[in-house]
Amino acid sequence: MAPSVPVFRSAIAAFIEERLAAKLAKLDADDPKCAALREQYQYLTWLDDAARRVRQIQLVTHTLKPIHPDARGSNLYAPPSTLADYPELGSHALAGMHADDVVGNAAALDVYKLLKLQIDGRSLLDWLRDGHPDAVAALSDDADDAHTLAEAFVGIAQPRAGGPASHTYAKQVFWLVGDDPLDDGQYHLLSPLYPSSLAHALFAVLNEHRYGEANKLAREALRARRDHDQPFYSYPSLAVQKLGGSKPQNISQLNSERGGNNYLLSSLPPIWKSHKVRPPTGASVFDLFGRHDDVRRLVHGLRHFLESSAPDRADGDAPGPKNNRHTRDIRDRYYADLIDELVLFGEELQEQLPANWSAHADCVLHEAEQLWLDPYRCETDPKFCASWMAMDWPAEVGQRFANWLNKQLAQHLPLGEVEMRHWRKELLVDERLDGWARHLHRQRREQDAPAYIPTRAATREAT
Amino acid sequence: MSATLPDNDGLLILPRLRIQNANAISSPFTHGFPAITAFIGLMWALERKLAEQQLPLIFNSVGVICHDFAEQTQPGYVQTFRLTRNPLNQRGEPPAIVEHGRMHLTLTLVFGVSGGFVELDANARHQLAECVAEQLSCMRVAGGSVLPAAEPRPGGRRQQPWLEVLSQDSQERANSFRRLRRQWLPGFALVSRDDLLTSHLHTLRQHTPDTSVLDAWLDLSRFNWRPAERDNHGKVIWRHDRPAGTGWLVPIPVGYAALGELHPPGSVRDARDTNTPFRFVEGLYSLGQWISPHRLERPEQLLWFADSQPEAGHYRCRNAFADTPAGALSV
Repeated sequence: MAPSVPVFRSAIAAFIEERLAAKLAKLDADDPKCAALREQYQYLTWLDDAARRVRQIQLVTHTLKPIHPDARGSNLYAPPSTLADYPELGSHALAGMHADDVVGNAAALDVYKLLKLQIDGRSLLDWLRDGHPDAVAALSDDADDAHTLAEAFVGIAQPRAGGPASHTYAKQVFWLVGDDPLDDGQYHLLSPLYPSSLAHALFAVLNEHRYGEANKLAREALRARRDHDQPFYSYPSLAVQKLGGSKPQNISQLNSERGGNNYLLSSLPPIWKSHKVRPPTGASVFDLFGRHDDVRRLVHGLRHFLESSAPDRADGDAPGPKNNRHTRDIRDRYYADLIDELVLFGEELQEQLPANWSAHADCVLHEAEQLWLDPYRCETDPKFCASWMAMDWPAEVGQRFANWLNKQLAQHLPLGEVEMRHWRKELLVDERLDGWARHLHRQRREQDAPAYIPTRAATREAT
Repeated sequence: MSATLPDNDGLLILPRLRIQNANAISSPFTHGFPAITAFIGLMWALERKLAEQQLPLIFNSVGVICHDFAEQTQPGYVQTFRLTRNPLNQRGEPPAIVEHGRMHLTLTLVFGVSGGFVELDANARHQLAECVAEQLSCMRVAGGSVLPAAEPRPGGRRQQPWLEVLSQDSQERANSFRRLRRQWLPGFALVSRDDLLTSHLHTLRQHTPDTSVLDAWLDLSRFNWRPAERDNHGKVIWRHDRPAGTGWLVPIPVGYAALGELHPPGSVRDARDTNTPFRFVEGLYSLGQWISPHRLERPEQLLWFADSQPEAGHYRCRNAFADTPAGALSV
């Protein structure tokens, strides 16, 4: 049973009365302005004026000003029901629960408040939009006037006159819709607007988790390591952005309700240099290397693989998987993954330890490993540099890696596979022009360094 | 443009570019890395810039590996952005404050390319790559400027632009990719995890049928800590519920959705261009994952490409990481 004319009318009248009372409360009872105000807040007078002022504001879901406060252009009313349903997150996800926003002259916001007036569970605007006869009739006794008023109010969601507009300060990106980026005719110009309704739903959740009592209690329980019946929600590296500076109401009504705060979730990459590295103390770094979780997992996997497959002893083969292409592929993948880990491990020491760390009297690390892991020492230590340039160390490091791996695998690895690899390539990656060695050489020459440092080319000829 | 990755004959690699003041606010809801749409846009702009030189190169896709970053934020319980003071406007008033997030980045860009370069020798290919790198160095990358290359690093890790021809043989292709990806260590590549958003929504809906994509997306964008078990001292150990093997999962913008019809060229006031159809859009969001390059098995897992479906109002960037999952998350 829909509400009747008197229900609508009394709700509207109460709304107007309330606003009048608030105005009068600020004045002395004998102030001459009081009479003028009472006149202004007559039911019909106020509604007529409201119907005029409603054109200064617009009901929207997507706004332009958060992109730039000085941007002037179209804001859109595109509620979720009008949007296509994609698997990604967009405003369409708010179907049936979105909050409308209002942009325009803040002085006309009281009209929006009137239209938001809840009558029997629905807003006055919804009733009017459906053309409910009692709601329309409640606006005025004159049927024509009532219709004119209703039409004006419903127009709040209409696009502004003058057609669609963008602005210099609006975001506008060219998007290629064909397959030839050189053809100007294959682009669309896309102008992203701020999804204010969606932002509001997101803000509600984030703000509740940031300031809400429930999440605070959960955090306390987590810190105290107590049991608790609610989860604790945490948002790593959450950032907050202010929209509209000190005047969030200039952006939009919902932005004002959010205090101009816009939360930004983090897409930051991980930080690679996570743990502190100390100079290795032993004669070899491979034991240290072997303690890394990923390395341990790989070695374990490789050993398991080499031991697992059915032994084929008919022709006197050693136990282990058959020596076919499939086996080799899997084994090579393990090798390659281990070498990846080795390169990463080396990089970590090279980049994080201070140059010359291997020159310290306490350092007992094998020379080849020093040359591998302390390359910056070349810049100050000519003898060290000469050994580095001689390039014997990559193969030696490779041999030491093979020995270490064989020990881990309890000799299950067919010897010779690993040390046959081109360790220069594995550890140096770049053998071409302008690598670090070349750079180093040039630098030395510029400093008028002793001439006995062999060039990379000379080294290559000699080997 | 299609929903699948175009075939590539090769990879053009621009290693360790140093980008200053790139845009750190990638969308109204995310910060911390430029949007992948910025790199797709860069690829198109690059191909247009190179057009005059008639290079035998067609750009199909782009991969991004981040080696280092410094976001210009103030730390705190929530982070805020360090603002810049901008020149006064024509009326002599301070301009409206617009918070721009900025960050410095060291990136390796990997372009999936095709074209006549496969016929060239290594030297000519190297020159080609140099030429692209030079062009790129005067362009904006995600709003930031490209700084001159850093000094070579020890071990002679490859820092030169490089154009690698991909073999037709899948085994050989995998081997050469393996060598390449080692040069991208240490670093993290951004890949798409649309699959997790869809499957997580499905899982949540089994318990709560009215779960929205927003709920599922937020649930995967945060850590939900719950009491798990007691330790020996009777203290409760809390654990979060991130899906196993998903590593560093992050919310990212992936493209745009139309908010209405396409406006004919010239019909929208103050549009940047009056010869191009215009459309109001909003951002679309999904999930990405930062993954170390040595966890990638094929170039296809790294590369992003544009998938434009204008009739459906759908403009987005795709990456096929989840379509080729074998081995990527385990040995």
